[in-house]
Amino acid sequence: MVTREDVENIALLSKLFVPEEELDGLTKSMQEIIDFADAINNAPASAEGFDNINNLSNVFREDEVVPSYPVAEILKNAPEQAEDHFLVRNRE
Amino acid sequence: MNYELVSGFETHIELSTKTKIFCGCTTQFGGEPNSHCCPVCIGLPGTLPVLNKEVVRFAVKAGLAVHGKIAEVAKMDRKNYCYPDLAKAYQISQLYAPLIIGGYIELSNGRKIRLHHIHIEEDAGKLIHQHGDTYVDYNRGGVPLIEIVSEPDIRSIDEAKEYVEKLQQVMRWVGISDCKMQEGSMRCDVNISVRPAGSEAFGTRTEIKNMNSITNIARAMAYEYERQVDLLESGGKVIQETLRFDDASGTTSPMRSKEDAHDYRYFRDPDLVTINVPRDEVERLRAEMPELPAEKRERYEAEYGIPEKDAALLTKYRRISEYFDKAIEGVKSPKTVSNFIIGQIFRRVETEADKEIFDVAVTPERLNELVRLLDSGKIRNNLAKSTLEKMLDTGKGALDFISESDMGGVDDSALLALCQAAVAGNPKAVEDFKSGKEKAIKALVGNVMKNSRGKADAVAAEAKIKELILS
Ligand SMILES: [Zn+2]
Repeated sequence: MVTREDVENIALLSKLFVPEEELDGLTKSMQEIIDFADAINNAPASAEGFDNINNLSNVFREDEVVPSYPVAEILKNAPEQAEDHFLVRNRE
Repeated sequence: MNYELVSGFETHIELSTKTKIFCGCTTQFGGEPNSHCCPVCIGLPGTLPVLNKEVVRFAVKAGLAVHGKIAEVAKMDRKNYCYPDLAKAYQISQLYAPLIIGGYIELSNGRKIRLHHIHIEEDAGKLIHQHGDTYVDYNRGGVPLIEIVSEPDIRSIDEAKEYVEKLQQVMRWVGISDCKMQEGSMRCDVNISVRPAGSEAFGTRTEIKNMNSITNIARAMAYEYERQVDLLESGGKVIQETLRFDDASGTTSPMRSKEDAHDYRYFRDPDLVTINVPRDEVERLRAEMPELPAEKRERYEAEYGIPEKDAALLTKYRRISEYFDKAIEGVKSPKTVSNFIIGQIFRRVETEADKEIFDVAVTPERLNELVRLLDSGKIRNNLAKSTLEKMLDTGKGALDFISESDMGGVDDSALLALCQAAVAGNPKAVEDFKSGKEKAIKALVGNVMKNSRGKADAVAAEAKIKELILS
């Protein structure tokens, strides 16, 4: 069973803010998603069948350089940054 | 009690493709922090990795270079762990269906270190720890790697060093990596355990992570061997754990458990499709492979009668062997060419880095010309040697230093006359020789060489002088 606490915990781990009023709805959705995954898990099929459902193989790119992004653009979504680096603060 | 060392290696080698494994960012070493990045290699949601074809080709070449089997079907898996060097919180690697199966590296003592497999994966970013904070640069993130996993077949530190050297040599040779340990393009994780000599069962192993020099591999293994033996001798037990080696103190210590989480929850990466390496592509790559260093060394010994040690030196780097191959074209004695290279040319290229590039002032064609003069009897060995020195100084050809008058040998009657003159002109040396001072004859031979301007055959001169004195 998925609980409100589970959802709060997952939100924290995922660095997502979840408003109080959405918690019940999300708990219900999460339970439905897990039930769906369980249904798939219980389906009689070999692992091989699921392995490559679209039957594609050998999708490659050539070894050709494409310009990278500007550093500012790369760091734009970083929670913290310093001296052109992503910065991970010590939490201890 | 005597303890035997048992070791296996996991060696990471950065492939020298132009672009990263799943995106078009450059793999160039260095660069401003985070300047070789795009949404794919910093793991932004909604991006789709696409495998670089050259990575597969390079890995197949690596596999062929170590006599491995190229898998018919290979797949990519996600290895989950949460650490800032991985933007996605997983590394795309291979576990269930790696590209290369088996293979071996043969050591000079005849032992084969078997390989379990070789897989392809992406490198992680670089972390700089400062004042407790961590600065992350993802330029290296997504650079293609192969990981070569050996069986625990290594039995001594010397074998371990040779294993790494041979791996480095052959991977450079086939041109898939520069294998620079100091720049991190080759790194080893060393598994090590000990067991009573003669025992079949393996002891508990520890793993020393991220070794980046052969010297430190040897130091760390020596330390860890002693530590494990001491533990067992004093009734203790070895704990299976991951260690780091501290360069300054020369000791190993356990890594924090955070960096050593083993629940990787591998699963098939749904973004990446199956790899089927076509057999004709494998055969095409096999046909393109250069003759490998071990094969070449054996051929030099068998075909040209070059001593094992010299053959190993000539095949240490591909450029040296190619130089040698060109220089021996059509010459009578490849061994003479080898002696010139190892005896004289090597003195001008002292460092390993220079030997690898092997850019010497004398082209192989010019060395070939010099040796042909020697072959045809037009010049003698002494003159060839001194001429080679002048060629190395100036980069000019042999004929710039050897005139017509230097060429041609000294015929028998001329040699006799020269020897007679030497004996007549040096009565003291003759007396010394007669009274038992063997060395005195060298002065007489020297006199003949000087007066013939180096053209006389020193061995023949010595024999002739002895004949004159003793008759
Ligand atoms: Zn990229």
